[in-house]
Amino acid sequence: MYQLTGVTKLYQKGRRTVPAVTGLDLIIEDGEWLAVQGRTGHGKSTLLNLLGGLDRPTEGTVELDGTGLGTLRETQLTRLRAEKIGFIFQTFNLIPTLSAAENVEAALIPLGAGHAERRARVDVALDAVALADRAAHLPTELSGGQQQRVAIARALVKEPTVVLADEPTGNLDEDTRDDIIALLEKLWRERGLTLVLVTHDTAIARRAQRTGVMANGHLTIRQDSANR
Amino acid sequence: MFFVTYLRRELRRRMRQAIFITLGLALGVSLVVTVAAASAGANRAESGVLSALYGVGTNVTVTGPPVMVGRFGQVKMGGLTGIQVNANGVEFCHNGKCEKASPGQSFESVGPPYSAFSSAHVTAVARLHDVSAAAGGLLLSVNVQSIPTTSSSGPSGFFFSVDGVDTGHLALSPLSAGTIISGHSFTAADAGADVTVVDSGYAASHNLKVGSAITIGSAPGVTSVRFTVIGIVRQPTAASTPDDVYIPLARAQALQTAPGPAETGEVDMIYATAASAADIPAVRHEIAALLPHDTVTTQASLAGEVTGSVKSAASLASDLGRWLAVLVLIAAFAVACLLTVAAVTRRAREFGMLKALGWQTPRIVAQVLGESLAMGVAGAAVGVGLGFAGAAIIGTIAPTLHATVPGLIAPTLSGASSKAAMPGSGLNGELDPATASHMVAVPLHPPVTAGVIVLAVLLAVAGGLLAGGFGSWRIARLRPATALALVA
Repeated sequence: MYQLTGVTKLYQKGRRTVPAVTGLDLIIEDGEWLAVQGRTGHGKSTLLNLLGGLDRPTEGTVELDGTGLGTLRETQLTRLRAEKIGFIFQTFNLIPTLSAAENVEAALIPLGAGHAERRARVDVALDAVALADRAAHLPTELSGGQQQRVAIARALVKEPTVVLADEPTGNLDEDTRDDIIALLEKLWRERGLTLVLVTHDTAIARRAQRTGVMANGHLTIRQDSANR
Repeated sequence: MFFVTYLRRELRRRMRQAIFITLGLALGVSLVVTVAAASAGANRAESGVLSALYGVGTNVTVTGPPVMVGRFGQVKMGGLTGIQVNANGVEFCHNGKCEKASPGQSFESVGPPYSAFSSAHVTAVARLHDVSAAAGGLLLSVNVQSIPTTSSSGPSGFFFSVDGVDTGHLALSPLSAGTIISGHSFTAADAGADVTVVDSGYAASHNLKVGSAITIGSAPGVTSVRFTVIGIVRQPTAASTPDDVYIPLARAQALQTAPGPAETGEVDMIYATAASAADIPAVRHEIAALLPHDTVTTQASLAGEVTGSVKSAASLASDLGRWLAVLVLIAAFAVACLLTVAAVTRRAREFGMLKALGWQTPRIVAQVLGESLAMGVAGAAVGVGLGFAGAAIIGTIAPTLHATVPGLIAPTLSGASSKAAMPGSGLNGELDPATASHMVAVPLHPPVTAGVIVLAVLLAVAGGLLAGGFGSWRIARLRPATALALVA
């Protein structure tokens, strides 16, 4: 469970101080799907970074399962991400020199799993996203939708408790977008993940249990959704 | 395996950059290897000159003034030795005794080029505190004069050198620098025997082999001595004018026929070995104090007087060559660092993603260091290969170097013309002790030693690690959120 209390994140832009998130209070239950909407530059990605420990709040606390992320050392935060948090990005962020299987395997390296175990889990993960036949392909040999599936497999291969997705369908066409969202929803249901998904798309946001809207660093929660 | 796969794929992705960095490091390394080889070759050539002159076991050498000048500075003239044409016809005169000479007849006069030391001098040197051994040697020049067989041609002659060596201290003589290629060298038992070891060049030009005989010292009133060849020695190529004939010291002392202050039983060279290399300067001073009118030289002092192209080559390799190699290495290191930092900057988003996946910073740093190390090792391999090629090219195309060592009088050998003629020889000759010098031709063979290879590899690896270190510093400062926000 996530608990955010009075979270503020400020950025310095030269002499100017830019508030990306201001006084945010939020609780995300285990297994909940929260969609976050909002215009560009209003703090959606910053919120995701704070939830994922990729950034630290200027004020307030971000707790995951009772542990304040701001109190952890960098190595501890990194370890936490390795074990519990999966990321999916709009631009996929696959390593271009590694194949689909090797990109997925990269998520298991920090866990110290042996080669045989890694390969077995990679096969299962790629199978879950219906890309087992593309395991040896490089990202440049895959379509956008296939690359995002690989990214999803990479996020899920470590069996995280939390998946943070930042505009996962932003670079995809409509049909592919629907496929990816359907896949995410399926996996969310099957695995009981806590899913926080940032999107511009209202139709996608409505599929979540809860929807929040970021505006000028403030989050307003809306209760209407298809999965409530 | 994942580490290697990732490393290999990344280097392949930026193949051109990797090759550029590798070749830059290789160029620097190859220059280091080539310059080190050339420097070692020139220094080795210079040392070879010196050891060929005095033997490998000798640290200090003592020589007297030229026999014409004498130990105390007087110019001495000996009795006339040479061919004369007078009312009696053609005569060969030696020490006041004349003998009618027939066409085709040859006479030899034998004399030392330097003033002599007594055996007591040798003993005194041997007893000095820091001297571990001392021995005497007697260098003789044999002046061979022949009566022409036809009236239209004049008398002819040539020199060859005879070196009397102490058979009980063979390491303390120029003979020790050579390699016996046929027969054997002297033993202590040969001290009084009429046996000889001849130089390979002299043996070839005079058709000598083990078992052959040579006769030395045919002059009026002097009985010539017949020496049996027991061995043939090949001196180092640095000693391109080695002594022609080596005989036991006692036999050389008995051979002398030319006039001069030296007496039977004396020597004209003293070879000494210091107790340790650190004692050589002290030994030099002690001997100089003991024998103030004589020339005391060490390899170090002689090295300072060696001139010629071997000196220039050694200086060029060690000064200009070294700085050139250092500059190229610095440039290669700088290029490697810059390109690595640029590559890391370009991959910032990728490294941010790895951090988001849970990769600790040292793990990412190890990946980058591995890539840099791989380029360093490749640079070392290519550089060492190029260095070997460079050294081989230098050895092939480099002209033969020459070393000129002042202060030694060397009657030229094996029939070559000489300007250092023996006094009273009757031949046109000039002797200027102040400027007499000994020139040897020295081939340059640049060696690539294991030590230089190790140094070169370490330098290339260091260059790779330095570049990786700069990249790693960049990674350590990377904030994942910032990196992921970068435009791909």
